[in-house]
Amino acid sequence: MKHLLITLALIAASLPLSAQEGLRINEVFEGNIINELAMQESLVKGESLEPFKLKVLHTVKFTTGNSPRDKVEALFEEDMKGRLSDNNDNLELEYRDGHLYYAIVQIADTKKGRHRYICYQCRQAAMGGNSITLVYMEGKASLADLRKTFKKK
Amino acid sequence: MKKEINIRELLHRYMEGESTQTEMKQLKAYFDSGQDLPEDLRAFAQMFAIIDEEMPTPSAEALDRFSEGQPLKAKRTLPLWPFIAAACIAAFAFIFLTPPQKEESMAIAYIDGKAVGDKALAMQMGQEALQEIFSNGNQEQQLNELFNAP
Repeated sequence: MKHLLITLALIAASLPLSAQEGLRINEVFEGNIINELAMQESLVKGESLEPFKLKVLHTVKFTTGNSPRDKVEALFEEDMKGRLSDNNDNLELEYRDGHLYYAIVQIADTKKGRHRYICYQCRQAAMGGNSITLVYMEGKASLADLRKTFKKK
Repeated sequence: MKKEINIRELLHRYMEGESTQTEMKQLKAYFDSGQDLPEDLRAFAQMFAIIDEEMPTPSAEALDRFSEGQPLKAKRTLPLWPFIAAACIAAFAFIFLTPPQKEESMAIAYIDGKAVGDKALAMQMGQEALQEIFSNGNQEQQLNELFNAP
């Protein structure tokens, strides 16, 4: 009986964990690397995303120097280790001048029917510095679905 | 006359609830005798005529139990574990068998650290970010398609 109660308590404790929990890039979303005042952030959940077969879409965009860029890049690369596969159906990335230029990565997820993605882009900002965009999203959409929806023709 | 006084005394004790079984029997015998009764005692004769049987007397054992305040039946103690098990099963059923609730809907944008509760703006920012990222590689692909086209 004691073991049963402990199991129940653990289940209850694990319920409030957020979708991004366990990802290193969460530090960026939480404003631990770049000051929140310097970021543009959007968080959308639920019905609005149904046309895109998504449930969560979280984005941050900011311009920063090389040192913070390296930190963000390192965190993203850590999370990339949890990718589903190196297959083109689950991964898209490009490096330029020794740095990650952009990446779309489907990360492994044990929850049936849920796909999770992390995306990164770093471009040269017009005013100097690095313009970085970071995205977390989850839903039923496959990478092919997302390419079809968001790739500019 | 002496007997009448005695009867009146017994009646007084009876009315006060102090009479014994023997005294009650004496009263009943007196009023059942059919002798000529004084006017004020005739009503009592009618009353004692109704009392045909002796009042039931509780047993000594019952009186003892009553005086000690003991319940007649021993208290049954129910085991607690079936109720706890039932509560656990109900909790599991509630968590795992109830249909999932619709995802909480929200859209919020933060610009320069300030929350902007504009759903359209949040959606626009999200979509633009995805379009930017997903359009990478497009130029290369387009150039390839342009120059390698037959």
